[in-house]
Amino acid sequence: MTTRATRSPRRRTVVALAVILSILGVFIVRLVDIQVVSADEHVAQSLVYLGDKTTISGQRGSIVDADGTVLAESVTVYDWNMDPKAMNAVETDEDNPPKLPWAEASTKIAEIMGLNADELRAGVAAAREENPDTQWYQLAKGLNAKQYTDLKALKLPYLHADSRETRVYPNGAVAGSVIGFLDGSGTAQAGIEKMETQCLAPTNGEETYRKGTNGVVIPGSEQKTDAVDGGSVQLTINSDLNWYLQQMIAEEAQAQGAQGGTVTVVEVKTGKIRAAAEWPTVDPNNLNGSSPSSWYSKLFTYAFEPGSTFKPVTAAAIMENAGVTPTSPTVSASSKEHFPNGAVINDAFAHPTYNYTLAGALIDSSNVALSKFGTMVSPDVRYDYLQRFGVGTKTVGFPSETSGELHPTSEWDNQSLYTTTFGQHFTVTAPQVAGAYQAIANGGEKIDLSLIESCTDADGTVHKAADPEKKQIIKPETAAELNARERRSAGRQRRAHQGSRLPRDEQDRYRADPRRQRRLQVRRLLHEHGGLRPGRRSAVRRDRHSRPAD
Amino acid sequence: MSLNATARKPLVTPAAPARAPRPRLTPLPKTAARRKPKLAYALTALGGALAIGAAQIGLSLAITQDSYTLASLSSQQRTLDLQTSALQEELTGLSSPQALATSASALGMVVAGAPSYLRLSDGAVFGTGTGAGWASTVDPNGAGAVSNSLLVPPASADANDGPVADDAATQTEQLPPAITDGLPSPETH
Repeated sequence: MTTRATRSPRRRTVVALAVILSILGVFIVRLVDIQVVSADEHVAQSLVYLGDKTTISGQRGSIVDADGTVLAESVTVYDWNMDPKAMNAVETDEDNPPKLPWAEASTKIAEIMGLNADELRAGVAAAREENPDTQWYQLAKGLNAKQYTDLKALKLPYLHADSRETRVYPNGAVAGSVIGFLDGSGTAQAGIEKMETQCLAPTNGEETYRKGTNGVVIPGSEQKTDAVDGGSVQLTINSDLNWYLQQMIAEEAQAQGAQGGTVTVVEVKTGKIRAAAEWPTVDPNNLNGSSPSSWYSKLFTYAFEPGSTFKPVTAAAIMENAGVTPTSPTVSASSKEHFPNGAVINDAFAHPTYNYTLAGALIDSSNVALSKFGTMVSPDVRYDYLQRFGVGTKTVGFPSETSGELHPTSEWDNQSLYTTTFGQHFTVTAPQVAGAYQAIANGGEKIDLSLIESCTDADGTVHKAADPEKKQIIKPETAAELNARERRSAGRQRRAHQGSRLPRDEQDRYRADPRRQRRLQVRRLLHEHGGLRPGRRSAVRRDRHSRPAD
Repeated sequence: MSLNATARKPLVTPAAPARAPRPRLTPLPKTAARRKPKLAYALTALGGALAIGAAQIGLSLAITQDSYTLASLSSQQRTLDLQTSALQEELTGLSSPQALATSASALGMVVAGAPSYLRLSDGAVFGTGTGAGWASTVDPNGAGAVSNSLLVPPASADANDGPVADDAATQTEQLPPAITDGLPSPETH
């Protein structure tokens, strides 16, 4: 039926369509190749010529105490400069005279910035004289937001401000050396700032954009990744308590002529460090105000021989391993004795030969009696007990914290065989001593000390610090016995120790009512004449806010 | 009649021999005269186009307007942020325990020693049971003072150009005015 006439146009149509389709196919393949297959490559190539980015810096997180009092925070400050050339142009513009002539403006600027107006004018004039085309003259650095608002309100076109972040420590030297500080570039140098950098440090964001000719940003090409501010670190420290103790240790150390002193307060039930006071310390706001030796906390980094404070550890070892009770057996001890192996041990005070029970030896703090008691068990047992009480183990992982030094028993010589019974020939830090006493006060359960409560991310997610390790290191009965001794000898030594100003009557209350539980363990140490000697068994003080237990 | 004629036809057809009818060429029926396009459609289309155009203009106006609002709000936000930080900066340092203790001691208050406790169940008093002594247990202004450099600038600024100068000025101002032109009369408006 189809005629030649109708067949021919159809063929033409088919051929044309095929050609068009094949060309279209080629284009589609190319398009897919460009847009999908090698898209990234092309984008990357184009960005070399077009793209640019700026970094958006986030804010470093703050450090707060147990109650949320801010101890360290980041604030924005402004560095101001001016363009003397532009100022001159505005000043000499006769068609459009400035609303605020320089003579007046400079007075206002100086007033806001706390400068001398005459010096400011002279400085700008000198800068212009030196180089009439100069466009930069530094006015003042580190001005605050109030000053920024005031200066902006002057509406002077030749003033410019660069903002930058700086660190402020609202409580000054309260726990200053524990909190630490940053260097000029914002890198943590010491203390919590360094220890918790991971939590505190912000993640910088960036803004990328394409530029056209002359560097004009192509609208709609901006892509912004917001900066994530640093998290906020909560400490276990109570800043008010810390301030009070810092004030006390400073007065006390100076009254005693000591070179320094520390007070550590640990919550018995949790092992949390509630105060870490030391003198001398540093105000991180003003490092230059104190000597560089006090910039870094000595609390965790200075190890010393604890002396008599570690006699209870020896007592625990012999009570649990040699069947010694506080009242039997007795050993005879004079104030200076030569031991069969050649060692010579002295007591701190002269006394005739006494028959000491363990309780008596602890109360009189007799080194000789303790040496005799201590050697009722093998050195390995005592070594084990020293380790259990935390000697030789770091406490909270403070920057440059020392673990102290505990020599293996094979290195104990004739003298140190005995001196290790009363806290010599090994070294501890103040928090380690506090940790040991925490275990005694907590019924023999040692809880690892902690200084960090939590880290709260910028988005509010709270990361609690890992639960501290708890370990029953001595029997509860042993701990109860040692506790009772502690309270009595503390009361006695308190009276012997003038100069201490922790309330005396509290000691009496503890003695009067042994049912009362200690909530806080306070350790006080004074450095003396270069060396570091522990203060006497220091005071035990109840939390100021606690009710009497009944 | 015509009714009869049509009625008759079927009677005839079956009688005719079943032969395929020869195809006949017939002229195509004349296409119906184009109807006049309805005005309503045109108006609808035009109206639609206009509506789309108007909506687009409206939307872009709204977007522009919003971006202005956004700009003004974010500048307001910036101002408020600045005010907030300015106010917070005023508080910084003042909230520290040193500042509190120093101000309290300036008022003649003392830092008390041991606290006393009242047991609610039987009204028993524990602790010292006396008031605070006349001396502070710590001296916030002494050699043991815990430093806070944030507190120094306002204090010294006050001391230098604040109260001292003002006091001198106000003291002279507070002298009764010399009566030269008769008794001074209050200015009324």
